[in-house]
Amino acid sequence: MTDVDVIVVGGGPAGSCAAITAARAGLDVVLIERGPFPGSKNMYGGVVYPRILDGLIPNWWEEAPVQRWVTRRSTMLLTPTQALTVDFRSQAWGAPPYNGATAYRPDWDHWLAGHAEAAGAQLITSTVVTGLLRAPSGAVTGVRTDRPDGDLTAKVVIACDGVNSFLAKEAGLYEHTDAKHFTLGVKETLALPKEVIDERFAVRDNHGVDIEILGGTGGVNGGGFLYTNLETLAIGVVLKLTKLGAQKARPEEIIAGLKRHPAIAPLVQDGELKEYSAHVIPEAGLTMMPKMIADGLLVAGDAAALCLAAGIWLEGVNFAMASGMYAGEAAAEAVRAGDLTAVGLAGYQRRLSDTFVLKDHRRLKRAPELVLSDRVQHLYPQMIANVAERMFRVDNPDPKPGLRRILAQERKRAGVRRRDLARDGWIGFRSFG
Amino acid sequence: MSSPIIIACLKWVAHPGEPHDERFAGASPADRAALELALQQAKELGGTVTAVTVGPPATETVLRDAVAAGADRAVRVDGPAAMLSSDVAAGIAGVAEGAAWVWCGDYSLDRGTGSVPAFLAAALGAQQALGVIDVQFAAPGPAARVTRRLDGGRREVLDVTGPAVVSVEGAVADLRRAGLGALRVATSASIDVVPLRSPARRLKAVVQPYRPRAMALAAPDGSPLERLRLLTDAAAATAARGETVTLAPPDAAARIVAALRGWGYLDS
Amino acid sequence: MSDTARGGMLEPHAWGGLSFQERMATAEFRIHHTPHIVVDGRVCADCSTRECVVACPAALFVPTAEGGIVFNHEQCFECGTCYLVCNREGAITWSYPEGGHGVVFRRT
Repeated sequence: MTDVDVIVVGGGPAGSCAAITAARAGLDVVLIERGPFPGSKNMYGGVVYPRILDGLIPNWWEEAPVQRWVTRRSTMLLTPTQALTVDFRSQAWGAPPYNGATAYRPDWDHWLAGHAEAAGAQLITSTVVTGLLRAPSGAVTGVRTDRPDGDLTAKVVIACDGVNSFLAKEAGLYEHTDAKHFTLGVKETLALPKEVIDERFAVRDNHGVDIEILGGTGGVNGGGFLYTNLETLAIGVVLKLTKLGAQKARPEEIIAGLKRHPAIAPLVQDGELKEYSAHVIPEAGLTMMPKMIADGLLVAGDAAALCLAAGIWLEGVNFAMASGMYAGEAAAEAVRAGDLTAVGLAGYQRRLSDTFVLKDHRRLKRAPELVLSDRVQHLYPQMIANVAERMFRVDNPDPKPGLRRILAQERKRAGVRRRDLARDGWIGFRSFG
Repeated sequence: MSSPIIIACLKWVAHPGEPHDERFAGASPADRAALELALQQAKELGGTVTAVTVGPPATETVLRDAVAAGADRAVRVDGPAAMLSSDVAAGIAGVAEGAAWVWCGDYSLDRGTGSVPAFLAAALGAQQALGVIDVQFAAPGPAARVTRRLDGGRREVLDVTGPAVVSVEGAVADLRRAGLGALRVATSASIDVVPLRSPARRLKAVVQPYRPRAMALAAPDGSPLERLRLLTDAAAATAARGETVTLAPPDAAARIVAALRGWGYLDS
Repeated sequence: MSDTARGGMLEPHAWGGLSFQERMATAEFRIHHTPHIVVDGRVCADCSTRECVVACPAALFVPTAEGGIVFNHEQCFECGTCYLVCNREGAITWSYPEGGHGVVFRRT
């Protein structure tokens, strides 16, 4: 006899969604959060795509703590003196059922955890899960916490304990942890009056902008982002861990460099720093993913490296919410069937494989490496920006050169080999096409 | 004799930095220290701990935390969120009558007046020791030796015997960490709700504010201009009190010390 | 060691008019007296790369004149960067602070 049916470790988006589906299936669920409230330890770029919640919380948009609805998406290519932006906007994204939204994680996660409690899960905060309880067979039978009398047993443990997931590691689900699979995200939340933000970003009401940036991170491979909240901006960079040390560049200096860029500076000028924050991101997608099922244990969200970092797409919370949801369903299935082994929990793997959670990752499995590669980071932006500059520059009395000639010249000038360009293009086409 | 009842008073209040955000609300470190001392004393005396708060239902959070930490009973005196300290004290007194000891925090999270403990002692007719920075339980016996912080860094040591109201600073004790089982049970623990009792002796409404009697004052000597110059001190005081010099650090330090000594700020 | 590796030693303009201390003061930390991360300076003594010093977003790793590294756990984001970039076995013992303590984000 166990204390409860399901223990969910971590009150982030994965954990709360797992607790919601498991509790709604009639199970006795405890949701354990190490911070003083759900979301207090959590940080991300700033945009969430909640489509997956449609089935879980109907009309979620009427109650979710959203800052702005993203109606404008830009992808920006920066060199030290140039910027090339592809800008798209859709009014459809500013009305139900919406697409993406900016939100603060301490608000978003707290709100989702409220739904877990409403579904009947018991939320325990300020409690760190320090390890797994195991049967002699190795099956997970509960968790150990940092509280007195802190052991709790369960039929299934769902580890949603984030990117550092010590539980997945303790269970041996990660073969190894390699710094090259991670990036460091640092960001600044900058306060500006709403009218100033509206004007600078050409939006009205609660509509907002999502700008993803390639280049602008100096010698450190990575990318940048700039999002609009209601009365703040979120500007930050995502940095390849292994390059950070090698380049001797400090994270906050790289943000400062991005903020000084001529294309960015007018947007963020006079913003008062409200909060500086940092978090590690599991960047490598399928390459680094652990096994997600063991006897009595499921792993979801960042803990399972379910984070999509593919240049133009930066998503994580949606993968966390979906995987958590499926983990809760699979746990309920296993408890009902009385088979708590990995075989009994296999419904989780099936759900992940049949949906975007793993389909997106399979399709884009080579994208993270491509996006963070030295050529994409350091050669192509300059080459592409130069091509654009030549296209738009008027060199009278010289006649306009043809695009093919500009391309050939700029490729050579940037030092890009034709063979590499073709190969990267092919990988990109296979991933994104 | 039945086992002594020890009261811990707790105030659930919004964080001044996030006044509209319940995620940051709670009891002050001083209130938490008071609860810890109540629990320790209950163990010494073989008594029970009753955690009390005054306020609306949302304040029951602090009581559940107290029950999780080991309080035997939790009582919420039903009242509005903002009240006069004297009324809060009267509400608590209704629960604390007959208690062997009452522990309070010296300040709440919103840094109020800290006057509830004094009002409470008056309402209960109990001894009081307020602003305590150290507590030693004198075993055996019902006494506690407490140290108070006084003005000018001075200390006062008191032997307090119950019934007494003691308010403590946050650094006196760290509230013990609640056990996991206790925490889970506490979320559904029953909390007694009692109505707010109106204070026994309310101050009469002031209908005529205090005014000092008129007094004849003699005009000062000397010309007005002379007095003005003395007060604004155009010449004399600046020479005595201020000067700007450029010196090497050791010499500057020596000069500052000499000046302070000359002005009488340093002894000998 | 380059200037950039010294965290708080840079001129404030490098961060847009804010000192590093002011930057860190924008985040809330509920400090626990027991350090959740322990650095064994003896292991660091012969480390030449010292990536933790550069990479830690809170600049909590500071090299000493004697060739060691001192670490301050109080303003830690609990991100994990340091143990991931560290290439010295046993130099960093990493865990989370006691429940309810450590960083508390509000607008992230």
